[in-house]
Amino acid sequence: MKWLELLQVGGVTLVAAVTLVVLYSLGVRLTAIAGDAQQKSPGLVRSLAYVCFGVCGIAVLFGIYLIVPYFGN
Amino acid sequence: MVALVIALALFFDFTNGFHDTANAMATPIATGAIKPKTAVALAAVLNLVGAFLSTEVAKTISGGLIREGSEGIHITPDIIFAGLMGAVLWNMITWLKGLPSSSSHALFGGLIGAAVVGIGLHSINFETVLQKVILPAIFAPLIAGLVAYICTRLAYALTSRHDPETGDKLTQKRGGFRTGQIFTSSLVALAHGTNDAQKTMGIITLVLIAAGTQEPGSGPQFWVIAACAFAIAIGTYAGGWRIIRTMGSGLTEVKPAQGFSAETSTASAILASSHLGFALSTTQVASGSVIGSGLGRKGTSVRWGTAGKIALGWLFTLPASAIVGALTALLVSIGVVGVVIAAVVGTAAVLSMFIVSRRSHVGHHNAVEVEEAGHAVRFRKKKKNQKTTKSEDVQR
Repeated sequence: MKWLELLQVGGVTLVAAVTLVVLYSLGVRLTAIAGDAQQKSPGLVRSLAYVCFGVCGIAVLFGIYLIVPYFGN
Repeated sequence: MVALVIALALFFDFTNGFHDTANAMATPIATGAIKPKTAVALAAVLNLVGAFLSTEVAKTISGGLIREGSEGIHITPDIIFAGLMGAVLWNMITWLKGLPSSSSHALFGGLIGAAVVGIGLHSINFETVLQKVILPAIFAPLIAGLVAYICTRLAYALTSRHDPETGDKLTQKRGGFRTGQIFTSSLVALAHGTNDAQKTMGIITLVLIAAGTQEPGSGPQFWVIAACAFAIAIGTYAGGWRIIRTMGSGLTEVKPAQGFSAETSTASAILASSHLGFALSTTQVASGSVIGSGLGRKGTSVRWGTAGKIALGWLFTLPASAIVGALTALLVSIGVVGVVIAAVVGTAAVLSMFIVSRRSHVGHHNAVEVEEAGHAVRFRKKKKNQKTTKSEDVQR
């Protein structure tokens, strides 16, 4: 039986999904903080949020890169 | 015969497309992230792209289920024709009922049924069936559901904001998830293209090999890839609004953060599984994710009645399409007359189902009623309220 493969698929799914969701949620959270009135340095927080979104996007692109056989997998 | 089979295969691809639009686009439509028509157009384009991206699945699909080659058994175009007939008819029935059933299971079921009648029971590799079809069917929704549950909890934990002094809830500002959903649902559509369009390519290639027009063991030809990609894209654009309604609002009420988590889980599960060679059904993964994300958020209740109905549909998919496949195989074995009868009956059945569907039309205008106003306030429905909606659901 292919229990190992099953475990592998489950593990990869979990890691990938959690990474993306955590990054994106952090981005959403930081955007929200940046929008607060009493925030001292909204610019810094906002750029941090954009960094989160950016890393999230790169993670997605990397995932697609991994699965397309054209790139030599 | 070969031409007939290819036409039927492409039609199966088409039904697969509009059957599975819901997987990608039900949740963003339900949360209002994308307008329904834009959503299906986007899904169609991404399915097209996805179909061209990777043809790895096409090479392995349907191989091994039926013992080809060994003991001198050969799949004939007749058997594939019968199998496809089973798959197409079952897809149409579940679409009419608005059930998100697995197109791949319908295909496997049809082929198995046709092979049993056409060749005999010994032609089926039951161990492979168990490994490739039955076990994934149990684990796909479980894995996806669990991951979606964890992701939803995380997403809400990370974005819940309280005032540090008073402990009051601040405005949560989770609007960002709605934008994010556009990307995650696109990813699901792409994954669907890399996964599901391949099945039809595999089938057509199998027919071409069986008919002797293509070298055994070679990959799909370019015109096959292109035809399948376009068939699934057109099918997706036609949109299975009935199933979108079930997935988008029948199972649980979906908020943007939930939808985001569910789709991320769905996309990762499909891409991971199709890359690692453990075939999971797109539909089952997506349904599992939606339920998981429903469980992950406080105050959302999952409509288990609808979920049970869907699960029942899954149970029936394999045997039902197997029976249709077997009957068609019987007809085909008579000869040319049988093939003609099967083709005519099949077309008539599809047409009549289409006509029935017109009577209770579900289109992009009423697939999911998005209520803009009072959107944010309507979460905590009481149990009683849920029950009434549930019974309405059953009546539908």
